[in-house]
Amino acid sequence: MFRARRRTVITAATVAAVLLAGALAVTLLTQGNGNASDSMIEYPAGHRPLAPDFTATSLTGTPIKFASYRGKTVVLNFWGSWCPPCRDEAPTLEAVAQQYAPKGVAFLGDDVADTPVNALVFDRGASISYPSVNDPGYAIVQDFSQVAPISDTPTTVVIDRTGHVAGMVLGAATYADLTTLLRDAAVTR
Amino acid sequence: MAVNLGMAHVSSDFMIVALLVYSLAVLAFAGDYAFGRPRRATASAAAPEAERSTELAAVGAAVGAAVAAGSASAAEVPAGQAVTGGGSADGAAAGGTAQGVPSPRLGAFRSIWAAGPWVRGAVTLSTVGMLAHLVAVVSRGVAVHRAPWGNMYEFITALTCVAAIFFGYIVVRYRAWALGVFVMGAVVLALGLAETIIYTPAGPLVPALQSYWLSIHVTAMTLATGIFFVAAVLGLLYLVAERYRARIAAGKAQAGNGLLDRIPSAAALDKLTYRTAIFGFPIWTFGVIAGAIWADQAWGRYWGWDPVETWAFITWVIYAAYLHARATAGWRGARAHYIQLLGFASLITNMLVVQVFITGMHSYAGVN
Amino acid sequence: MHAPRSTESAEPSDEATGSFGQDDSGEAGSGTGGTSGPPAASAGWLRWGWRQLTSMRTALVLLCLLALGSVPGSVLPQQGSDPAAVQQYYASHHWLAPWLNRIGLFNVFASPWFAAIYLLLFASLVGCVVPRTFRLAGSARTPPPRAPRNLARLPHSASYASELSPEAAVDAAASVLGGQRFRLRRPASGDVGHDAGHWVSAEKGYLREVGNLIFHLSLLGVLIAIAIGGLFGYKADKLLVEGSTFADTTSALDEFHPGRLVAGSDLAPFSLTLDTFTATYLTSGQSAGQPESFSAKVTYAATPGGQQRTDNIEVNHPLSVDSVKVYLIGHGYAPVFRVTNAKGQVSYEQATPFIPANTGTLLSDGVIKAPDASLGFMGVFVPTAVMTNGTLESLFPAADNPAVSLIGYSGDLGMNSGVPQSVYQLDTTGMTKISGSPHLMYQGQTWKLPGSRGSITYVGTKQWVSLAVTYDPGQIPALVCGLLAIAGLLLSFFVRRRRMFVRAVPAASGAGSVVTVGGLTRSDASGGFEDEFASLSAELAGQDRPAPPNNQSETGA
Repeated sequence: MFRARRRTVITAATVAAVLLAGALAVTLLTQGNGNASDSMIEYPAGHRPLAPDFTATSLTGTPIKFASYRGKTVVLNFWGSWCPPCRDEAPTLEAVAQQYAPKGVAFLGDDVADTPVNALVFDRGASISYPSVNDPGYAIVQDFSQVAPISDTPTTVVIDRTGHVAGMVLGAATYADLTTLLRDAAVTR
Repeated sequence: MAVNLGMAHVSSDFMIVALLVYSLAVLAFAGDYAFGRPRRATASAAAPEAERSTELAAVGAAVGAAVAAGSASAAEVPAGQAVTGGGSADGAAAGGTAQGVPSPRLGAFRSIWAAGPWVRGAVTLSTVGMLAHLVAVVSRGVAVHRAPWGNMYEFITALTCVAAIFFGYIVVRYRAWALGVFVMGAVVLALGLAETIIYTPAGPLVPALQSYWLSIHVTAMTLATGIFFVAAVLGLLYLVAERYRARIAAGKAQAGNGLLDRIPSAAALDKLTYRTAIFGFPIWTFGVIAGAIWADQAWGRYWGWDPVETWAFITWVIYAAYLHARATAGWRGARAHYIQLLGFASLITNMLVVQVFITGMHSYAGVN
Repeated sequence: MHAPRSTESAEPSDEATGSFGQDDSGEAGSGTGGTSGPPAASAGWLRWGWRQLTSMRTALVLLCLLALGSVPGSVLPQQGSDPAAVQQYYASHHWLAPWLNRIGLFNVFASPWFAAIYLLLFASLVGCVVPRTFRLAGSARTPPPRAPRNLARLPHSASYASELSPEAAVDAAASVLGGQRFRLRRPASGDVGHDAGHWVSAEKGYLREVGNLIFHLSLLGVLIAIAIGGLFGYKADKLLVEGSTFADTTSALDEFHPGRLVAGSDLAPFSLTLDTFTATYLTSGQSAGQPESFSAKVTYAATPGGQQRTDNIEVNHPLSVDSVKVYLIGHGYAPVFRVTNAKGQVSYEQATPFIPANTGTLLSDGVIKAPDASLGFMGVFVPTAVMTNGTLESLFPAADNPAVSLIGYSGDLGMNSGVPQSVYQLDTTGMTKISGSPHLMYQGQTWKLPGSRGSITYVGTKQWVSLAVTYDPGQIPALVCGLLAIAGLLLSFFVRRRRMFVRAVPAASGAGSVVTVGGLTRSDASGGFEDEFASLSAELAGQDRPAPPNNQSETGA
């Protein structure tokens, strides 16, 4: 069956050539997901999503209503005492909190996947002056994920005076990130 | 629920009985080979007739029908019952002789009876063994309150039971008792392996296997494996018969009355293997799909390229290749059979090697 | 399965049998591109290439490649299902592993070359199926061919004498065949010569090709369904300790594998609390210690603030929330520890998941990090502790006698540097080991740490479960296509395409006629046509008697 064998060889060679071409094409088409790893996202005034409301208990047990912060710019920091980048950015957050407090900016932490004891011990050790709410099940994070692309911990969200999300930092926040966001959040129309 | 130990003992005992009786049946089949009456010359079985007409169809329709008519009518006579409306060779057009209306073939049991005492004995023993085997499998199921294919031992005993029953079916349908030595011999080997090396005492299943899908997925796989088992044996026989035929055609061997002459012709074996394989293929496909549905229920995804899943897929693809090969010029005959045997090898690898030695989510073999 | 050239010749008798008696592949024509080499013109090259792609031979080669290509995916550890094993492989095969990685063998099923194989295969499939569909539609419209002149040449033929006239005999035969749902063809007014006369052609079994096409198209459907799932679906994992809640959001999930077109906001907004987890094991008999049942009692709400419902998630019993399914995958223990400083103030308290190292006895490894107390612990949790020859072992997987054995470290855990760490690993560089040998504690006991560093108490034991959250919109379509594929397969294997011809000529004696019957079937068919032919012929023969009271058409005996 010489003829059959030759046919098979030609077929196999053609198949191999087309496979290589196809592999190239598929490689080009299946480039990585390219999740935008911009560390900062900002929304211009007028295009800001409304931040969801929530009520929760602070680490010390007192109730905190987010609605009561309306009229102030709020920096909401999702963190946990188990999370090294969160621990790293905490002093920066505290410094900015102190600096902007007279300008009507309030800082609030959202402590996730944590126990109040552990979080309070950290806050004490790092001299954090602003309160955090206890959110062990990520419920508040879930609410915010519906309006802004929160994907990991830490994330810091800046909400303007009208209660709209002005911008956010994904990952540990730097002084420059925070001051930029706060400056732009002050512009509400 | 606790294991019913009494029933478990019944199962073990009947399994041993089946093994012994099957062994005797294999001896009887072998005896038929050695001492039984020569088969090729007999006109009583309708198998030659069936062979010839299918051989003709394989070659193409234009071959003169004289040969067909001649041998068919010769075969007609001893089988024949008188046909109403009579009639042979009257006023047919130029060319072949027309034959009378073909009569239904001789009943299966009559044929078996007529084939001689060795065949009678072998088929009887096989049937007895089959019944004992069935009792063993069923009682195992009763003992453990679930379908009796939850680990490797149970799987092998069940699939050999399927293979034996399926072989019984093709003996009746295609008068294929000549293959008894090989098929039942393979069953004996597999069952022996299960009883000695792979034996697992009756016990309950781990939670992952506690699902009605066990009955569906593993049943389908068991059935398909049993059928592919028979197809593989037939495929091997085909290769032997084909080589023998080629040697006779090349003048290197003479057709006689030896062992090789008693095997059905290569063409008949090829057809039989194909018909067996197409029985098994849809069942295997269904088994894979049922497995996917169960995987979705248990593990959260219907296909995850788990090693056992992957090898079930590989087996499926190889059998698909076999079916395509049969329809491709230059690939029918021995090459297609090599592919089919490769498919069965892949199946066995999946069962005995991948499931046992490669860790994945399928490691329920129960083999320690 | 590819485009055959026409093998029909002008002779009517050959027309009936010529192309029919061969296979689907149009056997004689399957040498396309082989009998002659590739043609010269470029358009001709394309046509030649297309013929090659859609030929059976190519399908065969591609199927073999598909099978072969899957083998490394099952033998080597794969990144998608077991990344840890891939790491281990790298560690034990320094030289080989990077090369294997370059050709994509650690992620075979997502690799471009594997995709190329199945994409080519499906291209070949579509290139075959579409023309065949048109051809089937065409053949469904054309009537069966005329009856050949000499029916005795067909593989199955028979003849019988009839007392009816030729015309009546053929009519009777036609009514029998029509009753069996054959498509019939009778001589037309324009036919001359041998095409005139008394005959009827009958054909049946078109469903075979229909089944074949359904099967192949369903496979394509499965591929499309898988693609839909890959684009719009997602898979996620979450480890949850008894008493904890989690909301289905990207930050909360331990692992999240979204499809290409999935954004975080597409996740179903449910939340779920693990109330209790119960595992039972066999306590006696040969399989003592084997798991008997697992059940996770959960409370969940489909939307934030929505109605709370309860359910039991078990293996093989996932929870369905809002088209998302939650599965129970694994479980383990999470002992609760409390660390107090030298003054007795609590500086750390948490249930710490330990990961089973032995799936039979559930002996587990874990790490406790109390960064604000500058303490870290590594240790082993044992559900049913027993000391054998000075080694701590677990006798039974249930927490009948729980104990932990810890090694303590003091110093900076490195968690303030901002570099993420695994929760299950302790980086002891820069830390001092507290005690020489591991310290054993049973539930409720306290270990007073030397050097007034405080103490650690083993407060209690909780269990954790690992859940898989999956959403796959392509699931149901894939199932439907799979079942259609089986239906198509069964039709294509067990329906035979066959033709029957009946011719009648006047009998030599003058009264009645001689009727010849011929039958033809595809050579690849599953057999049984001999029996069908025999019984049909007998029935036809039986029809030709003027009707006696009980018409024994099944005679033969």
